[in-house]
Amino acid sequence: MMDIQLASLFASGAFIIIGLFAAIFIDNLIKKIIGIAFIEEGVNLFLICLGFKAGGVVPIFLPGMTADWFAANAAYPLPQALVLTSIVIGASTLAVMLALAMVLYRKHGTLSVSEMMGDEK
Amino acid sequence: MNYLIPLMVVIPILAALIVNIFGGKDKTVKAISIVVAIAIPIIAIIAAVGIQYFGGHDPALLANSLPSNLVGTLVASYNTGIVYVFENIERIFIFLMGIVAFLAVLTYFSEKKEVSGPYLYLIFMGIASVTALMLSNDIFNMYVFFEITALTQVGIIIASSTEDNYEIALKYLILGAIGGPMLLLGIGFILGTIGSVNINDIIFAISNNYVNPYAPSLVIGFALILFGWLYSAGLPPFHTIKSAVYSKARPNGSAILQGFSVLCMLAFGIAMYKIFAYIPYFNTAIIVFAILAMALSIAMSAMEVDFRRMIAFLAVGELGFIALGFGIGTQYSIAAALFQAANEIVITALLFIGFGTVYYLTKTSDTRKLGGLIAVDSKMAIMVLLGGFALAGVPPFNGFQSKLMLVQAALDAGYTELAVLAIIVSVVIFFTFVKAFHTVYLQPKPKDLKFAHDKIPKATVFSVAVLLIICLALGIFPNIVTDVFIPFAGGLI
Repeated sequence: MMDIQLASLFASGAFIIIGLFAAIFIDNLIKKIIGIAFIEEGVNLFLICLGFKAGGVVPIFLPGMTADWFAANAAYPLPQALVLTSIVIGASTLAVMLALAMVLYRKHGTLSVSEMMGDEK
Repeated sequence: MNYLIPLMVVIPILAALIVNIFGGKDKTVKAISIVVAIAIPIIAIIAAVGIQYFGGHDPALLANSLPSNLVGTLVASYNTGIVYVFENIERIFIFLMGIVAFLAVLTYFSEKKEVSGPYLYLIFMGIASVTALMLSNDIFNMYVFFEITALTQVGIIIASSTEDNYEIALKYLILGAIGGPMLLLGIGFILGTIGSVNINDIIFAISNNYVNPYAPSLVIGFALILFGWLYSAGLPPFHTIKSAVYSKARPNGSAILQGFSVLCMLAFGIAMYKIFAYIPYFNTAIIVFAILAMALSIAMSAMEVDFRRMIAFLAVGELGFIALGFGIGTQYSIAAALFQAANEIVITALLFIGFGTVYYLTKTSDTRKLGGLIAVDSKMAIMVLLGGFALAGVPPFNGFQSKLMLVQAALDAGYTELAVLAIIVSVVIFFTFVKAFHTVYLQPKPKDLKFAHDKIPKATVFSVAVLLIICLALGIFPNIVTDVFIPFAGGLI
């Protein structure tokens, strides 16, 4: 089961590296934004991996569970709470970026970031 | 329980929502905004020092009800909810930010007949976020409010409707979308190593050797958080975009944006110092970025012909002084850095609003097209000049006191070269500012210079006068704040 955690950590690293490459080196604005989404999701996956517990249960205290059993078997809930907040922030940032992309496409008639910024005085 | 602590965050958020709902009703929006803008600094002054455990999660109270297999473990001592800590240092910074916000809102109302609900929403939301950032004792909570601050900063630039504001907003957002996740990744590394995001818990775990203080995951976490800190503060390599952000907002917006940056820098700077100061080369890394910020920003400001861009670069360069104080790492230098941060909020707000009147009158910020403006309003010209003196560190203003403290601290710590550098940078700031002032106010008025307005609104003059009085008061009576900063800095190291 530990392999799942390791594989997820590698996947999160791959997401972040691919996203960074796209955000820094690709000129197309939409592809850049997709790259940024990759970075955010990679970080979220990394956080989720931290809360993984082999053979653990969902950290919701249900009737019939004892506190000791729950503490010993439940997955760590903090990363999950953090990721939930992080997803909301990521979605907001993405929405603003896409709105700006629309406005700038109408203004410049291109999605090339270098052309857009080249027009900037 | 001190309910005024969470109210410092709740009230601006409520105000933001209400002014947005009443967007079309100017009188209502103005009344609500003024009342809330006055209330924010007042609450900061009257609130008692204390700790707020959200959800009542005081670890001492929870200790008796823990499952038996957790009793006596490291986890048993952890804070299980968000914690806000309100001390006198937070009081000073939230008060100053509140004053700047009030004056910026007042200036905005005097210069715009029809007020924008979304613009005020962004201002109040930003104030709520930076206040929460200052109060929070939880690095993830700090990250959340930092992201909200960054979004409000972008929103303020977009709502300013200036030339090329969308391009700058997008550029800032893209950089932020890289800087923010890197910060979160750093927090993730700490969470993975220690199991908590509460600053006190992290310090407890590291200082009691529950984890290896030099574990690679902690060092990587520090590097990533440092990267996020550079972005939040606008230190190199983000100094160019940060100065562009300031120059694309309305003058009152720039004053607020700069305040936001200073508070973000302080909150993360203090958190980093508390957690990572033991790491070798921590101070060296901070000093390197401080020197880069001072040298690059001041050099770029000296070459600028756009006065808004020039002030923006000067403001970013001044952040280098704050970083320098943290980098030197002695009690006196950290106190000097905190004093410099307090001064920076007030002085740059004065300059953005004061010099912003030139843009209000002429609708241009190109110094090559300006001149003779002292004839329009000599009082404002003098106040702007005095504000520039405060920025450069001329006595008897507050900038002099904080920079003197910083130079003394550098000399005491044996960093003579840093003291010399700080003095040289201050001299360059002085000459850059005086040159711009001479061009805009004193040289003959160009024949083709046209005026969009012939008078500066009284509220703007009032705002600049109040900020100048604060500069003077802190310059003559620095102990008002240093009596708080010096013991705090002692506790930090």
